[in-house]
Amino acid sequence: MNPTPPTASHQDAAVAIPATVTQPRFRFLRSPAIRRPATVIGLAMLLFFVLVAIFASRLEPFNPNVKSGAIYAPPSSHHLLGTDDAGADMLSLLIAGSRVSLIVGFAAALVAILIGGAVGLLSGFFGGRIDSILMRITDYVLVIPDIPLMIIVAALFGRHLLNIIIIIGAIYWTSTARLVRAQVKSVRERTYVKRVRAVGAGNSRLIGRHILPQVAPLLIANTVLMVAVAIFAETYITFLGLGDPSLISWGKLIENSFRGDATLNGAWWAIVAPGVCVTLVVLACTMVGQSMEDALNPRLRVGHLSVRRFRLRSIPADVE
Amino acid sequence: MNGSGPLLEVQGLHVWFDLAGGRELHAVQGIDFDLGPGERMGLVGESGCGKTTAILAIMGLLPPSASAAGHVLLNGMDMYEAGEDSVRPHRWRDIAMVFQGAMNAFNPVRRIVDQIVEPMELHEIAEGRAARVRAGDLLELVGISARQASRYPHEFSGGMRQRAAIAMALACGPKVLLADEPTTALDVMIQAQVLELLTGLTRELGLSLILVTHDLPIVAQTCDRAAVMYAGKIVESGPTEDLFHTPRHPYTRLLFSATPDLYGRGEVISIPGTPPRLDREVLGCAFAPRCDMAFEPCPSVVPRTLPVAPGHGARCHLNDPAMRSAS
Amino acid sequence: MRSADYVIKRVLFAVVTVFVAVTLNFVLFRAVPGDAVSALRCRACTQQFKEAERRELGLDKPLVAQYWLYVEGLLHGNMGSSLRTEQPVLGELWVPIANTMPMVILGTLFSIVIGILVGVTSAWRRDTLLDKTGLYTALGFYSMPTQWLGLLMVFFVAGAIHLPTSGIRDPTLGLLTHASTWAVIVDRLRHMALPSITLGLSLYGEYALITRSAMLETLGEDYVLTARAKGLRNLPIVWAHGFRNALLPIITLVALSLGTIIAGAITVEYVFSYPGIGLATVEAIDQRDWPVLQAIFLLLTLSVIVFNLVADLLYVKLDPRVVDQ
Repeated sequence: MNPTPPTASHQDAAVAIPATVTQPRFRFLRSPAIRRPATVIGLAMLLFFVLVAIFASRLEPFNPNVKSGAIYAPPSSHHLLGTDDAGADMLSLLIAGSRVSLIVGFAAALVAILIGGAVGLLSGFFGGRIDSILMRITDYVLVIPDIPLMIIVAALFGRHLLNIIIIIGAIYWTSTARLVRAQVKSVRERTYVKRVRAVGAGNSRLIGRHILPQVAPLLIANTVLMVAVAIFAETYITFLGLGDPSLISWGKLIENSFRGDATLNGAWWAIVAPGVCVTLVVLACTMVGQSMEDALNPRLRVGHLSVRRFRLRSIPADVE
Repeated sequence: MNGSGPLLEVQGLHVWFDLAGGRELHAVQGIDFDLGPGERMGLVGESGCGKTTAILAIMGLLPPSASAAGHVLLNGMDMYEAGEDSVRPHRWRDIAMVFQGAMNAFNPVRRIVDQIVEPMELHEIAEGRAARVRAGDLLELVGISARQASRYPHEFSGGMRQRAAIAMALACGPKVLLADEPTTALDVMIQAQVLELLTGLTRELGLSLILVTHDLPIVAQTCDRAAVMYAGKIVESGPTEDLFHTPRHPYTRLLFSATPDLYGRGEVISIPGTPPRLDREVLGCAFAPRCDMAFEPCPSVVPRTLPVAPGHGARCHLNDPAMRSAS
Repeated sequence: MRSADYVIKRVLFAVVTVFVAVTLNFVLFRAVPGDAVSALRCRACTQQFKEAERRELGLDKPLVAQYWLYVEGLLHGNMGSSLRTEQPVLGELWVPIANTMPMVILGTLFSIVIGILVGVTSAWRRDTLLDKTGLYTALGFYSMPTQWLGLLMVFFVAGAIHLPTSGIRDPTLGLLTHASTWAVIVDRLRHMALPSITLGLSLYGEYALITRSAMLETLGEDYVLTARAKGLRNLPIVWAHGFRNALLPIITLVALSLGTIIAGAITVEYVFSYPGIGLATVEAIDQRDWPVLQAIFLLLTLSVIVFNLVADLLYVKLDPRVVDQ
C-alpha cells in the first residue's frame, strides 16, 4: 500500500478512474480540482472580468473615444481613475479595453486548443508513423522563439485583430498537443478502452465518448493557461506598435501611457490601471490552470519531505 | 527468544491520516509486538490493512498529514519521545529498511555504490576508499559482482536492484531490518533467491527481521513468528508453525487457503468481500462481514486478543468460551 | 558508445532544425503581401532606388533561385544589407548585440538564482505560509507584462534610488575631465541595473514555479524516503536528492524559455531606450527594414537552437538514463 492513504480525491480524479465502462460524462466538474480555493478565487476573478467585458457598453461612465476631461487629469469623483493623454476617461477605457483583451485571449486560446487538441488526439490515438511525424513537427515549432515570430508575422502581415489571434493560436498549440497526446496514450492503454474496442465501437465514438471526457480536465486547465499567455502576448505585440490601431485594448492603454509620456507627466493612474487589469486576469488564469493541473497530477500528492513532522497523540482511551 | 531483552518493542501503536473535510483515516489501530535479537517476524495482510504504514511509523517516516500514538522502543529508547534529532543517528545504523519496489528506492541519477556509501559516511562507519570496498563486499554478499558497483540503478534488473537494496540496508550493520514486500515485483525464481538471501543473512549476521508481505506461504518459509493484520489491527500472532497448522482466526485460515495468482505477483487474494473503510469507526469485529463463521456477537462486540497457546494469540470471539456459550 | 549515439542524434536534430528555421525565415519574408522593398519607409527610398534594391536582393528571380541565393549568402556569413543604411546587416547588429549580452546575462542569472531559491524553499516548506508567500509573489511577477513592470520601475523606483532610466552611458561622462576606467564601468553598470532588474523580476516567477513543481515531484519519489530512512538531514536531502533530480526538467524549461528571455529583453530595452538588439528590432519594425528584421529573427532562432542543444548535451552529464532511452 501507499505511504499515504488514498484520499477521497483519489477516486474522482481523472488519473484513477476505475475500469468501468459506465462513466458519468462530466464527472470531473465535481472533482476536487475544481473545488480548490485557488481555483475558486481565480474563477471568480475571471468571471468578474468576463461580466465587465460583456456589459462593457452599459458600464462605461463616459464614451472612451471622446475627450471628457483635461489631459492627464488625476483621479477625482468625476473621473474615478483620472484621464489619459487625450483626456478620455480612464475607467471607461479600461472597461472598453477588457472586451478586446478577453476576446483576443479566449479566441487565441481556442485556436491553440483546436490545433493542439487535434494534433495530440491524432498522434496519441493512431501512434506509429502519424505520431512520429506530428511530434517531429511539434519539436520544431517548440524551438522557434514565440514572441519574435509573432513580431515578424504581425509586422509582415498587418495589424489586424484576427491576425494577432491566429498568430498567437498558431504558435502556442505545442504544449496542448503534447499534453493531449500523453493523456490519450495512457487512456488508450487502460483496459476499458480495449474492452470497448473489442465490443466493436468505432474510432470516432471511442474518441468522443471515452477519450475526450478523460482528457477534458487537463485540456481545460491548459486552455485557461493559454488565455493568460494570449492576453500577455497581445499586450506585448501592441506595445511594440503592432496592435490593431482602431481598437482599445489593455495592451494599447499601456502603450499609450508609454508613448504619451505618462511617466514625465506624473500620471501614475494612466500607467498603473491597465497593467493591474492585465496582471489580475493573467494571475486568475494562472491560478485556475495551475491549481487544476496540480490537483490532476498524481505525482504531487505524495510528499516525503517536510519541515513538519507527523504529530504525536495520546493513546485513545476507548481501545482495550 | 534468545534470553536478552527485546530489541524492538512496539506498544499500542496507532496511526491516523488526515483526510479532506476534517475526516480521519485510522490506518493502524493499536498494534503491539516485541522483536528479539535474531528473530524473524512476518507481518501479513491484504493491501491496505496498514502494514506498510505500521513499518513507516516504526521508522518514524510518516508524512506530516499523519498523527501517531503509542510507543516504539529501540533498545529501550522511546523513538517518539526522543525527538527527530536524537532518532536520526540511529536510523540505518540500528534499524534499516528495504523498501517496497526497490525500483524507486534508488536515486536514478546516482551510482549504486555512491548510494550504499552515503549512509556509511554519514554515520561514520567507513569513509572514502574503505567505504567503497565495503560497499563492494556487501554487493558480493548479496550475489552481485563488485565490479558492477559503479553502475546506475536503471542498468540493473529488478532482481539485482532488490538485492542491491538489501546490500544498501546492510551498509551500517543494523540490528533490525524491516523489509517491506521485498519480493513483490520479482518473478518466482528470483523471489525464492531473495528470500533465501534474507534468511541466510539474518542467520549469519544475527539480524532481526520484520518481513512485510501479503503472502503467507512466504512467511511460513522465512519467519519464526508471524502477525496477521486486518483493518489496522493484529488479529492473530504466534509461531509460524502454529499459525500454519492451527490457525485460530478465520481470516488467517482463509489467507492460507487463498491461492496467490499464477505468477506469484500482485495482491490477489480470493477472499470474498472487501476490507472495511477505515475512515469511519468499525463496530464489532472488522472481519465479521466477510467471515464465514461469524455469529451473534461479531457485528457488535469488538473482540479482544485472547491467548490460545503459548505465544499464540487471536482476536476472535470463537476462542472466547463466554461468548460462545452466551449465544 | 551509446552516449556518442545520443550526442550525434541531438546534433543532427539541431542541424535539421537550423535548416527548418532558415527555410521558415525565407518563406515568411517572401510571403509578405507585395514584396519586401515596396513597404520600405525612408526618405531616400525613391522608385529608382527600390528597383535597384529589388535586383540586388534577387527578387526578380524565381523563388527556388532566390532560396539558394539566400542559403548561399548565409553560408558565407552574408545576411544581406540594411535597406536603410545599406550597410551589411551583421556589422550593423554587432554593437547592439554586444550591448545586449551583459544586460540580459545579468538579468537572467538574477532570475534563475532567485527563481531556484524561491522554488526550492517553497517546495520544501510545502503548504506553509512561506510557501504561499513565495508562490503568490512569484505568480504576481509572472503575471505582470514586462513592459508594464518596466514603466513602474521608471516611475516609482528609479527616482527613489537614483538610477538612470534611459541609455547606456552618461553623455556628460568624460566630457570635461578624463573619466577613469572604473568610473566608466560603474556608469555602465548603473545604466544596466534597472533593465536587468526588470528583466530578472519578470522572468524569475516562471522559474520559481517550474522549480517548485519539479521539486514537489521529486520530493514525492521513494528515494527521498530512502534518504530520510538513512538518517540524512532535511537540507542535504533537499539539495543532493531533491534539487539534483529536479534540475533535469528545470534545465529543459530554462533552455526553452530563451525565447521569453529574448522577448523580455526587447521590450525592456524599448522602455529604457537601451541601445541593444531589442531597440534595433523596434527601429527595424518602424522602418520596415526587412533584412535587419530577418537577420535578427534568424539569429534569435539560432541561439534558441544552440541553447537547446547545450541543454540536451548537459543531460548526458546529469541523467545517466537519457543515453539508454
